[in-house]
Amino acid sequence: MELQDIYYNKFEYVETASGNKVSRQTVLCGSQNIVLHGKVIVQSDAIIRGDLASVKTGRFCIISKGSVIRPPFKKFSKGVAFFPLQMGDHVYIGENTVVNAAVVGSYVYIGKNVVIGRRCVLKDCCIIEDNSVLAAETVVPSFARYSGSPARLVTTLPEAMPDLMTEFTKSYYQHFLPTAAVK
Amino acid sequence: MAYLVQPDYVKYTCTCGQQKPITNLYFCRHCLKIRCSFCISHEVDSHYCANCLENMPSSEARLKKNRCGSCFDCPSCFHTLSTRATVAQPRQDPAAGDAKVENKQSKKMYYLLCFNCRWTSRDVGIPDQPVATGGWPERVNPFNSRVNQLLDFYKAVVQQEKQEKLDKERKKYAIRGKYITLTDKTGLTMAMARNIAGLPSSEGAPSSAIANFVPSQASAEWQPADVARLYPLARPLSVKRSQRCRLCDHNLTKPDYHVPEVKIISCETLKPGATCALLLKLSNPTAHEMQITLVDPAEVPEHQEREEGRTIEKSLEKSLCLEKDMSWLEAVSRKVDVTSPLSVTRPDVTLTLAQRDDAAEYDDDAHTHSDDVILWRKSNKLALRLQVQVAEGAVEGPGARLPLALRYSYRNTVPPASAAPLVRDHVLYVAVLLDLGQVYAE
Amino acid sequence: MAHNVKILPGATVCEDCTLEGDITIGGGTVIHPRVSIIAEGGPIIIAEYCIIEEYSKIIHKKSEKQENPPKPLFIGAHNVFEVGCKLESIFGHIGESNVFECKSFVGTSVRIGSGCVIGAACNLTAPQTLADNTVIWGAENNIREALEKQPSQVLQLDFLGKVMPNYHRLRKQNFHKRQPSRQSQDGK
Repeated sequence: MELQDIYYNKFEYVETASGNKVSRQTVLCGSQNIVLHGKVIVQSDAIIRGDLASVKTGRFCIISKGSVIRPPFKKFSKGVAFFPLQMGDHVYIGENTVVNAAVVGSYVYIGKNVVIGRRCVLKDCCIIEDNSVLAAETVVPSFARYSGSPARLVTTLPEAMPDLMTEFTKSYYQHFLPTAAVK
Repeated sequence: MAYLVQPDYVKYTCTCGQQKPITNLYFCRHCLKIRCSFCISHEVDSHYCANCLENMPSSEARLKKNRCGSCFDCPSCFHTLSTRATVAQPRQDPAAGDAKVENKQSKKMYYLLCFNCRWTSRDVGIPDQPVATGGWPERVNPFNSRVNQLLDFYKAVVQQEKQEKLDKERKKYAIRGKYITLTDKTGLTMAMARNIAGLPSSEGAPSSAIANFVPSQASAEWQPADVARLYPLARPLSVKRSQRCRLCDHNLTKPDYHVPEVKIISCETLKPGATCALLLKLSNPTAHEMQITLVDPAEVPEHQEREEGRTIEKSLEKSLCLEKDMSWLEAVSRKVDVTSPLSVTRPDVTLTLAQRDDAAEYDDDAHTHSDDVILWRKSNKLALRLQVQVAEGAVEGPGARLPLALRYSYRNTVPPASAAPLVRDHVLYVAVLLDLGQVYAE
Repeated sequence: MAHNVKILPGATVCEDCTLEGDITIGGGTVIHPRVSIIAEGGPIIIAEYCIIEEYSKIIHKKSEKQENPPKPLFIGAHNVFEVGCKLESIFGHIGESNVFECKSFVGTSVRIGSGCVIGAACNLTAPQTLADNTVIWGAENNIREALEKQPSQVLQLDFLGKVMPNYHRLRKQNFHKRQPSRQSQDGK
């Protein structure tokens, strides 16, 4: 079935010139270190910790309700450093998911209630299923579908994954409408 | 596109009869046939480690028993181990000079740690290493020489049996295609591979000193019964695959689409004996205009792959003494079951769909039609309104499926082989099965 | 419910969090935004150098056998509560240097020693006692014993203590006299 329209309260969301839609009920810490590259949706109660290190997303990313985007830290012999968190285009992050990854590639689907451990690297075109736990420093190769706790490869993905994700995030953005704009 | 997070409501019928979502199908531009993972040959392109993403030549992979040289898995939970550095505190005599001690203390030592279950290489008494990668002690199987002896013996047996077989049927020599298949490479038979894939995976190590079955079997050569003897496992390699058509050996993984796409927009509630409206979206993914007609699934011509192969290719191959043993290529094709309590009134029109235009995405006004059939058009897409009749005797329950078939025009853009005549426009058929959900009794 | 939150010097407590009841937060502890600490069954005392991350919930549950005055819940030093973890306790004491990973849940009748790791998304509900250095991991709550204690997060705390005041509104330290002797007595 086609994606149904998702309505939001017009007064809850701020829309920027580049098309980002960001809820006012989010915690964006250190907003000068957060770059949303356009047409990104950040839903209510999401937390983006730009104060720890910079967070960059690509275009058409969806950060769902209650998810936490948190740059990971690494200990060195002389103190700790928080790494910047980079996210590609067309990334979906489900509800109540915690992302502590170092890199999230493009065309990545992360389900709901997922925990992405510290310094994980998610390559382009991968799916992390709902309720999975990706242990720290896991590398998820392209076209892999991971599930479980600790998450492991369950199957591979079709070659059309970039197109699937592009269509999914674009249609999500198109169907994400303010209540006042209902035709 | 298929549905990313939803069940596959629309399934296409492969040439071999399998029902698959469109994203799991391939289209051979040379045979003009739909192929699926069951009726193509999978080949090993290269070996790589899924953790360090390092490529490894296949000869080296074979030598290393298909395992990565630098990555290790945790022996108790199979998560990849991380290398941690510590500043070594060298053992020194209290009598030694202070200046010397300071020099020594800058030395880093490395150990392996699992971030999932906190297993460390120190747990089993592996000494810390002075270098970050490599250098971990390799274990030699106590029965190594015996195993090698046996291997050599059985290799000789295989050689002998092969020779005998060859002598027996000297006349017939089968060339099995240019490429190595996945099953050749791994030494697995298809049945074994399926068996392995079907095995349920279960994990878990108790805190007691006795190693659980799964971690114990993971190091098959040693099978330790004791957690203190679980050593890190070299990480198994993954393979990159390529998909080839079994008939023409052409690569099937191409970044373009050839088959019109059907999507369900919405469907009214299905009730026995009633007629309800079904909205479908058709789109043309090709770079050429396309004519689409809805036809009866029974009209889809049976594919005649074997005959074709025999008449054209076989005669050519025979003349070149290249005759292939094609029996192993034959996919089990099954007849598609088209009996369904649902039927659809097919509008007797040919729908013309424009070619795909990436720029059209930005003009967003759909042209609404007052037509009975076409609801709207937008660049290479259109929405159709169809009437679905539900049979009186339809059983209540989920999974009401509507068979449908499309006849579409296809412009072949592959330059033909020198001898073959140039045929550019084809009429192709594709059968789809739409899952319309639940039938509700009154 | 008495709202009596004591924040000792050196603690970093974000304003955007829910603190209900009688709570004492030790020096050097960092509390990130959107944390809930609810002391409904008695006071909660958090010792020094703990990290409590976003959406963590620490609840001192009311129990039927409520003593009067209620016993406090004492959380030892160097504990790390990662994003979205939940701790409900009626017991008086939680050891030191434990790690409660993301989305883990520790129910009311679990006693926790020191140096334990409750793995991400693990649920501990049945009555049990975790010995020191126990590690719980995976979907099936597998148990193993770690060789050594979890490393301390002092370096991370240093960093957070420096950085967080630049970006967050913090609650003011309001309790200047340290009374370590009284607290440690309460914990036992």
